Amino acid sequence: MSKSSNAYNAGIMQKTGKAFADEYFAEDNQVVHESHEVVLVLKKSDELNTVVEEILQGSHKADNPTLVVEDRAGFWWLKATGKIEIDCVEVSELLGKHYSVYDLLVDVSSTIGRAYTLGETFTITSELMGLDVKLKDLAAA
Amino acid sequence: MAISTATKAATDALAANPAPVSVGAQEVHRWMQSFTWDFDKNRTKYSTKYKMANDTKEQFKLIAKEYARMESVKDERQFGSLQDVLTRVDAANRVHPKWNESMKVISNFLEVGEYNAIAATGMLWDSATAPEQKNGYLGQVLDEIRHTNQCAYINYYFAKQGQDAAGHNDARRTRAIGPLWKGMKRVFSDGFISGDAVECSINLQLVGEACFTNPLIVAVTEWASANGDEMTPTVFLSIETDELRHMANGYQTVVSIANDEAASKYLNTDLNNAFWTQQKYFTPVLGMMFEYGSHFKVEPWVKTWNRWVYEDWGGIWIGRLGKYGVESPRSLRDAKKDAYWAHHDLFLIAYALWPTGFFRLSLPTQEEADWYEANYPGWYDMYGKVYDEWRARGCEDPSSGFLPIQWFIENNHPIYIDRVSQVPFCPSYCKGESTLRVLEYNGKKHSFSDQWGERMWLSEPERYECQNIFEQYEGRELSEVIAEGFGLRSDGKTLISQPHTKKDGKLWTLDDIKRINCVFSDPLKAL
Repeated sequence: MSKSSNAYNAGIMQKTGKAFADEYFAEDNQVVHESHEVVLVLKKSDELNTVVEEILQGSHKADNPTLVVEDRAGFWWLKATGKIEIDCVEVSELLGKHYSVYDLLVDVSSTIGRAYTLGETFTITSELMGLDVKLKDLAAA
Repeated sequence: MAISTATKAATDALAANPAPVSVGAQEVHRWMQSFTWDFDKNRTKYSTKYKMANDTKEQFKLIAKEYARMESVKDERQFGSLQDVLTRVDAANRVHPKWNESMKVISNFLEVGEYNAIAATGMLWDSATAPEQKNGYLGQVLDEIRHTNQCAYINYYFAKQGQDAAGHNDARRTRAIGPLWKGMKRVFSDGFISGDAVECSINLQLVGEACFTNPLIVAVTEWASANGDEMTPTVFLSIETDELRHMANGYQTVVSIANDEAASKYLNTDLNNAFWTQQKYFTPVLGMMFEYGSHFKVEPWVKTWNRWVYEDWGGIWIGRLGKYGVESPRSLRDAKKDAYWAHHDLFLIAYALWPTGFFRLSLPTQEEADWYEANYPGWYDMYGKVYDEWRARGCEDPSSGFLPIQWFIENNHPIYIDRVSQVPFCPSYCKGESTLRVLEYNGKKHSFSDQWGERMWLSEPERYECQNIFEQYEGRELSEVIAEGFGLRSDGKTLISQPHTKKDGKLWTLDDIKRINCVFSDPLKAL
């Protein structure tokens, strides 16, 4: 089990019974606290298993040390600080077939954070897109 | 042969500027920006007190062709799995019987939500003025049609391929008598499509979808898999692949009003009302379905809620918007208490009212009782001992002459229905955030379980006039009402709902209920 603060059962979630209740009902936990994490739920499939195992946990593992990936039966659960990016040109090369960002979206099940596409890249970020940062269109060739 | 000057000129021009072999979807999306879309003076039937800006974006840059291709692949994968391998391995008969019953509720209720979301997003399409925002809403209209069909299909699949079809195949016929239906329609229907258009978006997209679809459609698949159900992950995770665009639509709705003066006046109240409306129903019902409707437990419901609702939705969506004036929902403290206890309160009442349902319920086993006590200290003294008493009085046996609702009557614990959420509650025997409040309006009494619903009712009492089952059937005998409200299986005498899921257990019939002579009474008349 991951010991990262981004793990599925991190922090209070490791506690049980009265210890959990004490922290859950603590005065400080009666309001929301701003978080700069993002969460991604990827439906398991031939292509997404490759994305997770070969890219996010493989060739790009060192790029984002905050990223935690957990196997939750039918889906992969991912949490990271800041952002998670998937470049579908790279996925395409690995799969040996054309694989666009919209092919990726076939199996992206849920996002907590601001998710968007630009070209063949899928990004989920903690930035407030459209408020703090402008959402860009594909640049003219 | 010599070529004409014109042909040569064209050939030379193409050599210098070759025509593209294909055009990428996002190039088409960019090209479409150059069209003079003008919805700024848009007139809509569905007004809002907010001014929606007309330059907000659709975050995924979808064009119709890519959308259609993407959704078609999703359907091919989902229906291919269901009709091929899952049927071949007899997957529907491998589901634990308790979970089979939970899916009667979850999928039938979600279907209603998806159906109403079609209208909700059509309304938002009409209200918005930003072309891309309209595009996002339009995609969502089509998604919601797909989801309605998916939810119906999973019930069809369970009914056709699996065990105990009653309730999967005809649940909606019982909507008049089932006490959970009306609350479901409050969150899934009224909350999505009635009133201010932006407030509906906050209910549907910012709270319903960005917050509660994660437990309802994602976390549910963990419980399903643990209880042998591989159909639900196949369908629900496919549904959720559209939800990320819906969450983005909700976020962009907030972006579109962020700089509007009205947002500083109304947004936090609208957000709090939407949060309370949605949590008031989803928190106890989902917790009840997950914990009491499963044999194999994944984790305590309060932890699921803490992760997806409090930490991630609260911190990543709401917390990040703090600098734009968005506050932590004022009802959060009460919602957290509900997330710990309200599903236990609701199951006690649901089990007591079991004959009015369309699914089978089971009392916790000793092993489950130990799990509840370990995870919710104090559970046994409040709930476990009551179940022991009911079991000892033969509540599962049709010949016992005992319905658990009698226990509430004998012990002077009246059950009320909250007028705003339509959720039943027992103020004298609960641990969730419920206290009795009664108000009179137009010569009629109304009960409320909490200050948040009461406040919403006080601002527009005419909105919440839905009759509850105690008012509707007052003075009527229970078996008559069950027969009238289609609560029977196809033999015309056995109840759809039962107080156990035992394969060899005796099933209750209308005659068994009639012998008890249980008559509906409205508790508000006694006040």
